[in-house]
Amino acid sequence: MATPGSFSTIPLADVLRAANDLVSARLIEDYALGGALAAIYYVEPFTTYDADIFFIPADKGLTAGVPAIYKHLQTLGWQAQGEHLLLKGFPVQFLAAQGLTEEAVREARRIDYKGVAAKVFRAEYIVAIAASVGRLKDLARIEQMLQQADLDKTLLEKILRAHNLKLPKL
Amino acid sequence: MKLEMRRALARESFEEKIRKVEQLIRLAKTFPRSKDKTRLKKQESDLAHGIRTLD
Repeated sequence: MATPGSFSTIPLADVLRAANDLVSARLIEDYALGGALAAIYYVEPFTTYDADIFFIPADKGLTAGVPAIYKHLQTLGWQAQGEHLLLKGFPVQFLAAQGLTEEAVREARRIDYKGVAAKVFRAEYIVAIAASVGRLKDLARIEQMLQQADLDKTLLEKILRAHNLKLPKL
Repeated sequence: MKLEMRRALARESFEEKIRKVEQLIRLAKTFPRSKDKTRLKKQESDLAHGIRTLD
C-alpha cells in the first residue's frame, strides 16, 4: 500500500486521460478505475494514497504488456517507483485484470470526470472483489458499501453465485 | 459520525469527494498519527510486560 507521498492533489483526470491514451495506442484493450477510489465513487470520502487501474491486456503474453505500458507512460513523464507509477508524485498501480476483475472492467460504469470519459467498477463488483480478497480492510469496505451505496442486490447475488463467493458475516 | 451524515457525504459528486480526499491527505500529513500510535502501543505493551515480569 502506498503511503503519503509528495503529492498534494490527486491528478485523477490526468490518470484517466493517460489510461484512455493507452487504449488508443492499443497497449491495453480496456480499463476501469478500481480499488479505494472506485469505492469512493459510491461512499463517503476516506483517505487513500494511490489509484488502482485494472486493465484488460492487449498483449496476452506472460507480462500482460506491462513493460510497454511502463515505457509509454515514462515517455509522458511518469516515474516508476516499485510497484507504482507516479504521476505528479501520485502513485498509480496498473493491474492486469483476470477472472472477476476482468468481468468488472467489462461491466464497468461509464463516467465523466472533469470532462474525461472513463470507467469505474460497479458497486456490486467492488463488493464481490472485496469478498474474494477478504482482508480486514476489504471487510470494512463491504460494510461501508452495504451501508452507503445503492446496490443492486440481484446483480450482486448473481456475481457472487457465478464466482462461488459469499459475503462475510459482519 | 452518524450514518445519515455518512450517507449524505456518499451522495456528493465524485469531484467533490476527491477534493475531500485531498483535504484528508493534507490533514494526515500535517498530523501524522499511525506511527505514533504504533510506537505508543509498543511502549504500553513493553511497559505492561515489564510490570508483569517484575511480579
